[in-house]
Amino acid sequence: MKKLLAWLDNRTGYKDLVHEALYERVPGGARWRYVWGSTLVFTFVIQMITGIFLWTAYSPSAQTAWESVYYIQNEMFLGNIVRGTHHFAAQAMVVLLALHLIQVIIDGAYRAPREVNFWLGLVLMQIVLGLSLTGYLLPWDQKGYYATKVSTKIMGATPVIGPELQKLVQGGPEYGHHTLTRFFAMHAGILPALLIGFLVLHLSVFRRHGIKVPDLKRRPDSTFWPDQILRDGIACLAVLAVVMGLAIYKGAELSAPANAAEPYSAARPEWYFLFLFQFLRFEWVEHQGLAFGAIYVPGFLMLVLTIMPFIGRTKAGHRFNVAFTSVMTLGIIVLTIWALAVDRYDEGHQTSLEEADRDAKRIVELAKQPAKIPVTGATTLLKNDPFTQGPKLFAKHCASCHRYNGHDGTGRMVYDMLKIDGEDKQVVAYPTAADLGNLGKREWFRSLLLDYKNHFASFKNTQWYKARTRQVADLEAELKKAGDGGREAVSKKIIKLGKQLHISNAGRLQKTAEAKRRLQAKMLSDVVAAIDRVGVSDDLKAALDKRKKELERAIKETDIEIAGTKKNATTTPAELKGASADKATVEKQLAKLKTLAANNFLNPEVSAMATWWGDEGDEESIKANGKILFQAKQVDGKKQLANEESIKALVEYLVSLGGRRDVTLDPKITKQGRVVFAEGTLKTGTVAACINCHDDPANKKFRPSTELFSYPDLTQIYSKAWLKDFINNPARQQHYGWKNQMPGFHSRLNAHDLDMLVRWMLGDYVETKIPPHESKVEELTDGLKQRPDYPKKTE
Amino acid sequence: MSESPDHSASTEDMPRRGFFVRFLAGFVGFIVGVVPFAAGLAFFLDPLVRKPKPPKKSKDGVIKDKDGFVKMNIAPTALPEDGTPQTFKVHDDIVDAWNKFLNVEIGSVWMRKQPDGDIIAFSSVCPHLGCAVDYVDAEQVFYCPCHTSKFKLTGEKLNDIPPRGMDTLETKVKEGSIWIKYVKYRATIAEKKEVS
Repeated sequence: MKKLLAWLDNRTGYKDLVHEALYERVPGGARWRYVWGSTLVFTFVIQMITGIFLWTAYSPSAQTAWESVYYIQNEMFLGNIVRGTHHFAAQAMVVLLALHLIQVIIDGAYRAPREVNFWLGLVLMQIVLGLSLTGYLLPWDQKGYYATKVSTKIMGATPVIGPELQKLVQGGPEYGHHTLTRFFAMHAGILPALLIGFLVLHLSVFRRHGIKVPDLKRRPDSTFWPDQILRDGIACLAVLAVVMGLAIYKGAELSAPANAAEPYSAARPEWYFLFLFQFLRFEWVEHQGLAFGAIYVPGFLMLVLTIMPFIGRTKAGHRFNVAFTSVMTLGIIVLTIWALAVDRYDEGHQTSLEEADRDAKRIVELAKQPAKIPVTGATTLLKNDPFTQGPKLFAKHCASCHRYNGHDGTGRMVYDMLKIDGEDKQVVAYPTAADLGNLGKREWFRSLLLDYKNHFASFKNTQWYKARTRQVADLEAELKKAGDGGREAVSKKIIKLGKQLHISNAGRLQKTAEAKRRLQAKMLSDVVAAIDRVGVSDDLKAALDKRKKELERAIKETDIEIAGTKKNATTTPAELKGASADKATVEKQLAKLKTLAANNFLNPEVSAMATWWGDEGDEESIKANGKILFQAKQVDGKKQLANEESIKALVEYLVSLGGRRDVTLDPKITKQGRVVFAEGTLKTGTVAACINCHDDPANKKFRPSTELFSYPDLTQIYSKAWLKDFINNPARQQHYGWKNQMPGFHSRLNAHDLDMLVRWMLGDYVETKIPPHESKVEELTDGLKQRPDYPKKTE
Repeated sequence: MSESPDHSASTEDMPRRGFFVRFLAGFVGFIVGVVPFAAGLAFFLDPLVRKPKPPKKSKDGVIKDKDGFVKMNIAPTALPEDGTPQTFKVHDDIVDAWNKFLNVEIGSVWMRKQPDGDIIAFSSVCPHLGCAVDYVDAEQVFYCPCHTSKFKLTGEKLNDIPPRGMDTLETKVKEGSIWIKYVKYRATIAEKKEVS
């Protein structure tokens, strides 16, 4: 063996090189404070190794970058560890280079004859920061994309060459394929090559002058190997342990794929640039323009660092350098903590962070589906995911009136601005339409059936409700106050308003009948045209003739209907014939007025649905025909309603109409529910059957129609088709009809958005493990109570 | 820099501590070097460590039966009666890392009607080195242009360039179409072995 080594040494001279490298003299003994340079080299080597292996799996294009990183992180063997190591080692490098710089300055190792080496070190620092910046963009995720956009914008603010520089770095006027390829070439090729080159220079120049020893007498001299190498090695081991520990137990994050159209409010630079980010947030810095805070001030700091070798020529100069470094370090630490604290207590930012986290988790769920990631890229998956898009659409279009479990769909409360004591204060906004958190589910129907008044209580917050009920309520109050003397005058007012409402109601009936006639007339003319067509077979002609006769008969009936509605409109109802001073008569007039009003707009207090079982009652004891049907009682310590079984069955049947797949129904109970619906028979007693007013929805498909419906059509209610039509045309007779106050969205939501919204509301999307937003119902009721304009009397 | 007189002797003078220190330094150095490299190497070996699963059936994808036969959508009557071979493309659903492609062309086959009326199918991949085999009508032979391998219409090799004859593929006829079980076989060897 010795002979072989001797031969090799003779040919290459390696023994001298090795001796030169390993037996460098360390005067004053090996010390821990010298380890930083070695740890930096070590960390760089980790980056080279992990970087090259990652390179074998990374694909730099706008459609494949995020996707390849997702694949590495979630599917490849040990991919998460290799990527995590690369990610955290990059951060370690920034920390280590700061420590190295500080140690060098404190120990005066930047002074003659080591000035050039110091400058080489500063160049290396720029290269490392450049590597961080270019690497951050490569996953092409929301965080990296938006953070880098800020950096390139700052570059664009450079005086004189700014816009051209930005275009060069971006590879064009906008971010795209070439941004990624350029950044990748910089990150994997150009910058590492430069770094190696400058590192070689840095090390060789370092060896020329040797280590700068602050205390020569500290210990006897020793050699690089093994004493210093041991210390270096242990420090490197510590760095490795921390980096790989973080990689294994925390893992590098990957936010949702970059989408220029989807704002990312949680955008922040990597933590070691947060100080600059915070600095740029100060108003007095902003005021000076972007170039000041982002280029001139950092540029000035770098300039001071660069001329430190000259400043440090004197003892006082060196002390200044140390002081400057301490102040700068302190400033950076303070600004970083400040930035973190501001974000920590910024509710809006925390919500954005949560949303970003949800999107990141969701895209992984979607990518793991059997269909995998489409060729158009992973953003396609999110764009077509109802779970992601639905809440945003709800918040944008629906939350001005509705709520979703108390919030706007995205977990945020809806606020109003009120003037309190001359100041604009933010208060919780009144919802003016139903809370749709449970739409179509058992809780929704149960509340509708048993607690109609409260289910739609939000209507009382609307202007239209207040206006209509106020009229009637005012008249009622006036009547009470009037007594015998003024009763007739109030009666006149009641009659006037009553006639107005009567005419408006009748007018609507007339319009609907006329619309029906127009439709029938058109169908008739189509049939006539078909009969007159050349070449019609005899069989077909016979069938068409039959249809023609049917339509003609139907039109005759409709004409009678129209005449009837016209007469109705001109005929005053009996109760409102004349003003009276008689107490009983006027009471009857007031009652008639209330009924007309109830038919004129949706009043949950007096709606037919509020008392569908026949008589009055509340949830505690709902009676019908004198018999207590749904009385609450204690069963096993829990409150239960009598006939609970029947209610449950009816609810089950109603839910089944929607055909939702995210709710599992019991077919037996559903069947029982159908009996309750169609016949009104309960376990004990009977009620008015639903089928008496609502059409029979059994075995029918929902089809939008112009026919007259007196009560909402329950055909496939809360199915996709039904809900889409409802949102587009709530004024249809099948839905709210004349009483509608909801705007139609057929011109405001395109087909894709409507599909996303409806499928989200009905739970029709890829299953998710992400928990739904917390219910904010309590916060809503509490917030409303705190409003200065909250009604004082309790309901 | 002062030169300590017994500088070179100082490290050899303390055998125990010196050895321990040297061993420890070497060991630590070894660990910090090997661990990241080992992780990276293991990651690099992913294609050997992970066996990719066949893609799940999709309603827009290729039609395959439970034995792995793909529906070619070609009627048996489409093949000429005189036994002239014709080439047809084979489709399949493939998974490429994070993408899934449905109904994409993955290869081609030669099919002909044999004298007894049965259908025979050959993979167009030459068993020599993998080029695409042609058909020369004038000579009524299969001919590979890369290295001049020649085969009879029955698939047997006519010269010793290829290690074996053309690879036959299993076929069946049902629902009015020919179905093929498309398999890729290893080139350069005499044995007909599936690529795993």
